[in-house]
Amino acid sequence: MMKFLFMMIFMIPLCFMKNMFWLVQMMLFFMMFLFMNLNLNIMCFFNMSYMFYCDIISFGLILLSIWICSLMIMAGESLFKLNFYFNFFLFNVIFLLIMLYLTFSVLNLLLFYFFFEASLIPTLLLIIGWGYQPERIQAGMYLLFYTLFGSLPLLMGIIYIFNDLNTMTIYFLKFFNMNMYLLYISMIFAFLVKMPMYFVHLWLPKAHVEAPVSGSMILAGIMLKLGGYGLLRVMIFLQEVNLKLNYIWIIISLVGGLFISMKCFCQVDMKSLIAYSSVAHMSMVIGGIMVMNYWGFIGSYILMISHGLCSSGMFCLANINYERLHSRSLYINSGMMNFMPSMSLWWFLLLSSNMAAPPSLNLLGEISLINSLVSWSNISMILLMMISFFSAGYSLYLYSYIQHGKYFQGLYSFYVWFISWVFIIIFALISFKYDNFKGWFYFYLILNKK
Amino acid sequence: MFFFILTNNNSNKMFFLFILFFSTLISISSNSWFGCWIGLEINLLSFIPLISNSKNLLSVETSLKYFLTQSLASINFLFMILIKFSLLKNFNMNNIISIMMNSSLLMKMGSAPFHFWFPNIVEGLSWMNNFMLMTWQKISPMILLSYYFNKNFLIFMIIMNLIIGSLGGLNQTSLRKLLAFSSINNLGWMIFSIMISENLWLFYFLIYSMMIFMMISLFFLMNMYFMNQLFINNMNFFIKLNLLINFLSLGGLPPFMGFMPKWIIINFLLINKFYFLTFIFMMTSLIIIYYYIRIIYSSFMFNYFKMKWVNLLMKNNMSLINLSSFISISSMILSTFIFM
Repeated sequence: MMKFLFMMIFMIPLCFMKNMFWLVQMMLFFMMFLFMNLNLNIMCFFNMSYMFYCDIISFGLILLSIWICSLMIMAGESLFKLNFYFNFFLFNVIFLLIMLYLTFSVLNLLLFYFFFEASLIPTLLLIIGWGYQPERIQAGMYLLFYTLFGSLPLLMGIIYIFNDLNTMTIYFLKFFNMNMYLLYISMIFAFLVKMPMYFVHLWLPKAHVEAPVSGSMILAGIMLKLGGYGLLRVMIFLQEVNLKLNYIWIIISLVGGLFISMKCFCQVDMKSLIAYSSVAHMSMVIGGIMVMNYWGFIGSYILMISHGLCSSGMFCLANINYERLHSRSLYINSGMMNFMPSMSLWWFLLLSSNMAAPPSLNLLGEISLINSLVSWSNISMILLMMISFFSAGYSLYLYSYIQHGKYFQGLYSFYVWFISWVFIIIFALISFKYDNFKGWFYFYLILNKK
Repeated sequence: MFFFILTNNNSNKMFFLFILFFSTLISISSNSWFGCWIGLEINLLSFIPLISNSKNLLSVETSLKYFLTQSLASINFLFMILIKFSLLKNFNMNNIISIMMNSSLLMKMGSAPFHFWFPNIVEGLSWMNNFMLMTWQKISPMILLSYYFNKNFLIFMIIMNLIIGSLGGLNQTSLRKLLAFSSINNLGWMIFSIMISENLWLFYFLIYSMMIFMMISLFFLMNMYFMNQLFINNMNFFIKLNLLINFLSLGGLPPFMGFMPKWIIINFLLINKFYFLTFIFMMTSLIIIYYYIRIIYSSFMFNYFKMKWVNLLMKNNMSLINLSSFISISSMILSTFIFM
């Protein structure tokens, strides 16, 4: 485990050398394949040392974060072409990857908090530094302050636990029961803001839209899953209070997910639509974690991974459109099938995964979540039905608005060639189903790189 | 070299600088309350020549205001010491005399609710004098505070410090006043730490003064006094990064060095079961971070409209600044080598 940390730390000097942009990205791919070859054991913590550990959730999320960071660098190649502080951009990406890697793999709850907060700083730098609209300042403020407002009580809760239990090791927390209401609220509020839950979701559309493509990818891909991971870790010693109070969070997130799905239909901005769909998917994840049964746990984990891959891919596709047409609006981006028919394949595959169509991984996650939520209460059937229906609705809406129809008459000319790396995401989605992460290696062999 | 900068390149004032350092030592290490009072008076007497500059009418007014407020506080302190000697035979700390003594010391420091002179005066001082005012001048009142304090009164003062320090800085554009309000806020953290232990206060104080020194030396070298100057200047990339890191560190965000003292103080707050107070500490910290980020907008954004004709002549002591920002980033990790 430490070997990956040192590999990432030693990539930092590499970011500042000349002509090393693609080398850094290749090394991140390489690191991902190395990481995949760790021994994976479903039922316990493995690879434990003094500070680090890995279990099934950490493994998947670290793999996802390394994957998305390497794709971020690929997506940010326009920064390299235009020579816009790409050295510092690489440093930001590697630093963010180190922080995320450490968040998911340290044994100490306080260190988890430390790296959880520390991953905010490079994200903020990415949004405000490389974003391209004046609203990004407000977006960065919203991101920082919503997250800090939630996570400072988390710090209080963690230190309270330390003073009470004299241990911070995540593994030992399952032997204790800290069932106090105030502690419960302070511990989970941070993760609910990060997820985001419906009432505290306002930072997400702003931050996702104003971020550059790399920032949007990492935000949608991993930063939301930090909240889910934290919830899964912290629930262990808060089980009884959670069983009393979980209906609040489930109802807020499910009804909120319904409202957000309906709001997706009103969006004009492509990225805004994808951002709101993230909130809707995450609302189901919150529901799945809060009901505290095994199907819910598995469903939320699978939905987190698949949503990370899917949303990142969609943001990248939206950016490909933006680079050509210089607009994210649905009125201008219409009839794209006339110009980039191969792109419509990727739009279709990713949007069908987004609406949880077979054979994507999202389907597995949503079916497990529907099972777990309906087993908790029959009435949630109505809400889940509506959320799934509307997610299919807005995915198709986005697809048909962008691809079909007549193109905007004001288009002049643009570059139709596109980068064919998005397909890896799709194959990843399919290959996950066969429970064999090593299948990715074979797809890398047929990667078409320029 | 460092002392030369502190006296604003006027070596006549080095004598007064020496007396200033000495007076604090007298005040801290005296056996009797009279010795403390003498140290405070000498402190006042030696700081006035440091800040007075007869060419500038504003600095004359500033030194007069400083003299008036500090001597008022000293007189109060002396009077309360005498009352304590003559009337009180026991060492009970929960009485009105301890409140009065603490109030006079709080006024010496510039803590709320006696803070009104503080932003006024920092507006009239140069950056290095501000540095002395914000760091060294706090030492002797703090330590004297720890000798005889009234816990309930001080907790109330801490809350007032935090709130005034955070809300007062929201409408400021002068960088000196912003740092003054942040200093008032940090006084709240420091007063709590000195109620726990002097060692803890020393830890917080050293890290705080190091961070303040890095920021003030950066502003001093760039000769910046107001927020709009941050946008006019054509700063090179490393200075911007340095500014960014220092302000985020002062706000207490991980992974920078400024997170460590706040974390340890929260630990002691929760050990002593001050739950609501901890919540106030956290939330005022958020407001402070808001106005720090307003200052560092110019370093966050890489493509704002820059004026290219303003060329920033940095003197050749950038290595100190680079070293200091390196320490800021990596000190959390380096500290694990010290403590383990």
